[in-house]
This record gives sequence, C-alpha cells and structure tokens, in this order.
Amino acid sequence: MWGFYFNELMRSLPFFLKGLWMTVAVSGLSLVFGSIIGFFGGIMRAGRNKPARIIVGVWVDLIRGTPFLVQIFVIFFILPGIGIELDAFPAAVIALTNLTASFITEIVASGILAVPKGQREAATASGLSHYQQLRFIVLPQAMRTIMPPLVGQYVLLVKDSSVVSAIGVVDITRVGWLTVQRIPEGLMVFGLVGLLYFAICYPLINLSGFLERRMTVASTRL
Amino acid sequence: MISFKNVNKWYGELHVLNSIDLEVAHGEVVVVCGPSGSGKSTLIRCINRLEPIQQGELIVDGMKVHDKKSNMTKIRAEIGFVFQSFNLYPHMTALENVTIAPIRVRKIHKKEAEKLGKETLIRVGLGDRINHHPAQLSGGQQQRVAIARGLGMRPKIMLFDEPTSALDPEMINEVLDVMRDLAKEGMTMMVVTHEMGFAREVASRVVFMDEGKIIEVAPPN
Amino acid sequence: MLEGFNFRIILEYMPLYMQCFLATLWLSGLSLLGAVVVGVIACAMRLSQSRILRGIAGVYIETIRSTPLLAQLYFFYFGLPSMGIMFPEWLTGVIALTLNSGAYYAEIIRAGIQAIDFGQIEAGIASGLSYFQRMRYIILPQALGNTIRPMLGQAIILVKDSSLLSLISIMELTRAGQVLTSERFTPAEGFLTTAAFYLIIYYMLKAFSGWSEKRLIFREAH
Repeated sequence: MWGFYFNELMRSLPFFLKGLWMTVAVSGLSLVFGSIIGFFGGIMRAGRNKPARIIVGVWVDLIRGTPFLVQIFVIFFILPGIGIELDAFPAAVIALTNLTASFITEIVASGILAVPKGQREAATASGLSHYQQLRFIVLPQAMRTIMPPLVGQYVLLVKDSSVVSAIGVVDITRVGWLTVQRIPEGLMVFGLVGLLYFAICYPLINLSGFLERRMTVASTRL
Repeated sequence: MISFKNVNKWYGELHVLNSIDLEVAHGEVVVVCGPSGSGKSTLIRCINRLEPIQQGELIVDGMKVHDKKSNMTKIRAEIGFVFQSFNLYPHMTALENVTIAPIRVRKIHKKEAEKLGKETLIRVGLGDRINHHPAQLSGGQQQRVAIARGLGMRPKIMLFDEPTSALDPEMINEVLDVMRDLAKEGMTMMVVTHEMGFAREVASRVVFMDEGKIIEVAPPN
Repeated sequence: MLEGFNFRIILEYMPLYMQCFLATLWLSGLSLLGAVVVGVIACAMRLSQSRILRGIAGVYIETIRSTPLLAQLYFFYFGLPSMGIMFPEWLTGVIALTLNSGAYYAEIIRAGIQAIDFGQIEAGIASGLSYFQRMRYIILPQALGNTIRPMLGQAIILVKDSSLLSLISIMELTRAGQVLTSERFTPAEGFLTTAAFYLIIYYMLKAFSGWSEKRLIFREAH
C-alpha cells in the first residue's frame, strides 16, 4: 500500500513543482516590494519628523501584534467591502508585502540609529544636506548592521508565505493539502512539502549566519 | 570674522553658556581652554550650529548663525570643523573623505575636486596615503585626514574641538605641526585644547572659560 | 464602512469570543510550557559532549527552523492518523506548537549561555567554585537576564502562531472570527474583533516584558 502511495506521490511531482514556483513567486514579489517600502519606512522611523515616526510606529505595532492569518483574512475579505475586489494571489502578495515591510522597517531603523552620532555631525559640519548625509554617509554604514537580519527576514517571509494557502493560493503547502486528500499518507506528503521548503530556507539561513559572522569580524578589526 | 554678542545657552536648567561676548578677527588664532564642563566645546560647536543658541547674536563672516532662516549650508561651507574623535567616514578612502563635501556641497567636478583633495592631503603630509581607509591609518594620520577634510572646502575659518585629546602622546606633535603651519599661513582659527605650548607659540589670544563664562581673555603668557 | 459597523452583532457573539479567547490563552500557555521544557532539553543536548545527542538536537532544530509552522502542523494532523495515532485536534495543535517553539527556545537559551563572558567562568574556576556552583551563581542568572526578552518575544510569536490552529478546526480566536463571518457575512466585525483580542494579549505580554526587564536590571545591580 505504502509503495503504491509513494508512486502516486512521485507522479504528483509536477504539481508540487508548480506549487514551489508559486511559493517563489509570492515570496519574491513580496520581498522586492516589501524591501522598498521597508527601507522608506525605516528611514522615516529613524528620522527627525515626529508625526511620521509615530504613525510608522503604530503601523508596525499593529502588524506585529496580530497574526498573519488574521491579516490575510482582513485584506481578502474586508477590502471587497470598501470596493476593492481582489483575487487570492494579489491579496496574498499585498498581505505578505505589508508584513515584510513592517519588519524591514524596524531592521532598517535600527541599522540607521546604530551609526555613530559623530558621523552625522561631521557630515553636517561639512554642509551636507540631510538627504546627502543619508545617501553617502549613514546608509552605506547602516547596511553592515542591516544585512544579516534582512536576509533572516527573507527566510521568515518564505515560511510565512505558507499561510496564504489558507485563502486558496496554490503554493507548496496548498499542493500538499490538496494531495493528501487523495493520497492519505500525511507523513510522506508533508515530508515532501517540508523538503521543498527546506531546500529554499536552509541555504538562506546559512547565508544570514555567514553575513553575521563576517560583520562581527570586520567591525572588531576596525 | 566671528562675533558672539551676549550669547546664552541652556541645557534644561544648566546654563552652559553665560553672556558670552567675543570677537575673533580675520587671521586670528584664538585658543579656548578651561576645566571639564566649562562650556568650551559647546562654545565652538555653536559657531556652525552643531548646537543652537537660545539668546544673543552669533555672526560668522557676516552671516547670522542664530537666525533660524539663515542658509546653514552656505555658512558651514566656510567653516572647517575638526572633531576630537576624528569622525572620519570609515567606508571611504582618505581622498574620498576629503572630496565628498566639495563635490556634493560646492558642486565641484569630481576630477577637479580630486586634484585639490590630493594637494590638501599632501599639505598635511599624507600624499602617500590618499587611497587608504581610516582603519589602515594611525590616530595621528586619521586626525590629519580630518584636518584635510576640513580644509577641502577651502573655508575661511577652521575650528578644532580638542583635536589631540584622543591621541597617543607620540602622535600629538604631527597634528600640532599641521595646525602650526595653518596658523602661520594666516588661517582664522579657534582651537579648544589643553596644549599650552601650542597656545604660547601661535595663539594671538587665549580665552579662559569656567562654568559657562569667559573668565579672562589675554595674549598667551 | 465604519457607519455600518455593527457593534450589536459583536455583542451577540461576545460569549463565543470570550470562550475562544480563553481557548487561545490556554492552548498557547500549555504549548509555551511544553516549548520551554523541550527547549531546555534540546539545548542541553546541543551543548552536550555526545556527538549523537548533538546530532539529533541539531537535526531537530534545523528542520523546524527551515520549514513553515503550517506545514509542520499539517504534517502531524495528517501524518499521525496515517500511523494509526488518533489524537484530538487540540492535542495535535499543542504538539505542533510545542515542537516548533521548542526549537527556537533551544536556540535562544544557547545564545544566552554563549553570550556570557568566558572570563567570568574562569574567575569562578579560579576561586574554586564547582561546576554546579558556577552554573547556579554565575551562568544561569546571567543566562536568565540575557534570554528573558527573546523568550517573551517568542511567546508573542507563539500566541500569533496559535491562530493557525483554526485551520484544523480548533475553536480559538481566529476561528471565532471565521464563524461570525460565515454566519453573518460580516468579515469586518468578525476579523477586526479577533484582531483586537490578539492586540490585547500582545500589549499585555509587551508590558510584562518591560516590567520583568526592569526587575532583572535591578537584580544585576548588586
């Protein structure tokens, strides 16, 4: 029986690969948009404008204080109520982008605030504008602190993307869920699901750790 | 060149600058000294508005620093500032540290700025280190790059906030030598320092401060 | 939309929400306890002299970290029955949450212990303290101080993760929102109320984290 199920599973591989592609697509798009929004958010969060800091802070808190599943349901089910009809895929990307952006905002803000105050004073003394300071002096140095947790956040993004299966997006998890209905070998099916996620996440985790070690070594040399 | 008229500054309850009246003429070298907490660093940091003042008038090269509407970029372009902890940009080479402001603030062409930057670095004795990063330089060399960075903007005034206090003793002289040369060439300078030997040699006046007030202004003796 | 916000419906369903709120609390609480226990054991294995123990713990931790919680949840939900083990849903959910957070706790505790300056341990050895005395007076108190914040952070994550239990039909906060939405077609009232309850838990945990940090800093002072 087990052998039969195994063969069935192997025949479903193309379906799993489609799911893999969907996971990569949803994660990839959210990664790009989330990073862009997150960087701007982080700059605002670490900036001089108090109202901007507070608004961004409240937004980040709301995202961090509620489960992602609830956020997806809010976006998918409530937005149509105010006139925005959304398919599952765009809703998923929006929700995931929103989630990623809020975490990256905090990461970027921490990185910016970690740059020594003297750097900004020297730049101010030379007459560099606020924008010039950010671009040439602060951000390049902040990137050192930002990179490792940023890559770590990308790992979390891929894992969180599994939740979009709840609104029907056919990603790896959903493929597993659909497959297990006709191949009732949960261990095998979700073992495969796990393997596919592992293949994406494990290298990313190691990259993050590598970057973190490199950063520590470099700064102790300074 | 620099004019303090009844300048007052508070940090909360603390009266850090108390009724400061001071005139620094073109070409003068003024040394400011006093005990820790006397307000001497605060005094020069107000000149390019790294710190704001609450009362009084502060006029630099004819421009009103105390006026919130003043164009600080224009004012700061005429003032070179050297910090106690150097504050060099670690991700840039010595040359880049010197040229970034001329390129971005004075809008000078990169090639032109690099030519001028090299000259300035040679002037402070670091012609062979222009492509080094701060991490590859000694403390004394870093501070000289910082001076070159200040000079890079061809300013009318150079301000020094305890430039040698963070240096090992054997490196203090190389920095003071550069400062001595600058003074001899007629640069308007204001220096906060404990190096009284330097003051005796090049200062036109020495300002003594304590608890936010100017106690005495005298020729170096 | 807010004019039509129907507070009456929320009031009507409040008993359900309260029941589910309590369910979320005790499901999370139970899993939290289990996770701490699992985390301590896994960490001890990870730091032990035995290569086998280190290996097992390593595989466990890396697998959990590189795969999504939802996939792990489905793995147990569909996998256990296929092995003939029939657990009630809530137990499956608690097992999944426990094993998931357990791996993260193992890493948090390990990081907390390794962050302690070795010089202090050397000082302890030099003054003649035994292994257990060093553990008791030098290592564990500092490890506690290091880890309280990340452990509470993981607790917040665990509470949010418990929302996934709604997908295996467990009656908790998110499910309450789903029920209200499907019975009355009011996703806004349904999910925003759910979100509000989660935010209550979030802010309570945040406040507790702040309070406990203050108490610990006081202890470190002497």
